[in-house]
Amino acid sequence: MSTPSPTESPAVPLWMGGAAALAMIVHLYLVFVWVSTESTMGIIQRIFYFHVPAAMTAFVACFVGGIASILYLATRNNKWDDLSVAANETVVLFEAINISMGSMWGRRVWGIWWTWDAKLTSAFLLFFLYVAYVSIRRATPVEVRATVCAVICILGMLDVPLIYMSNRIFRTQHPSPVIGGGRGSGLAPDMLFTLMFGMCAMLLVWGCIVRLRRRVAQLERAADDLVRRTNEMVDRGI
Amino acid sequence: MENLHWLFYAYGIGIGLLFAYIFRISRREQSLRRRMAGLEATVEEHWRKKAGP
Repeated sequence: MSTPSPTESPAVPLWMGGAAALAMIVHLYLVFVWVSTESTMGIIQRIFYFHVPAAMTAFVACFVGGIASILYLATRNNKWDDLSVAANETVVLFEAINISMGSMWGRRVWGIWWTWDAKLTSAFLLFFLYVAYVSIRRATPVEVRATVCAVICILGMLDVPLIYMSNRIFRTQHPSPVIGGGRGSGLAPDMLFTLMFGMCAMLLVWGCIVRLRRRVAQLERAADDLVRRTNEMVDRGI
Repeated sequence: MENLHWLFYAYGIGIGLLFAYIFRISRREQSLRRRMAGLEATVEEHWRKKAGP
């Protein structure tokens, strides 16, 4: 009995895992040691260098997962389904990081953990949508789940521009955009470098996580297939 | 000083969530590999018995 087992090679190449770990260590060094302290908020502003990259990574994951989900609907090729589940599940992870760190920052700077302004509400909606995605994917039969999940992904992708633009369009308690926010916005060069480096490091870590999760999805499919074929064999009394 | 504590807590939560997720999917991968190896062994045993001595 031949089993379509996934390759035995590591899901994450050593160079990639090493580069992601090194990038994250360098990023932490930049945040805690190298970058200058913001004059108004003080040291607590450094949450920004992890909070923003986590949000950007969640946005990238949304689009990668959404496009993979649509490609799976069009082609029914399992590799797109594996990629979509891997990317979409990481949206929950990175949004959880984004929201929890932002909430801690809010507690120190605003004196409150949470407020229902446009930015925070739309970010919470994205998190909630992808929690629903994960739950529905587990609970729905295989035949219909691709369609249901693709609909959720499309809603998620529509929410991303809303989150990004919310503090440009609406008056929010969330701080105004510091990049591309018009006159008076902007970051000191060392702060901008730390932020950009953080985004690269976070995307590298995300790439490793997606590869690992995609391997798990391949294994889940192979295990289900093996169980199904074993049961068929038992039923037929072979 | 209190802000520094909050900064450490926040980064602890952020990095902790990353590690917790990586740990969870690594465990899932290991358990799936074990499950598949067990099933394959059962099938092989079945065929060996069928083939007889």
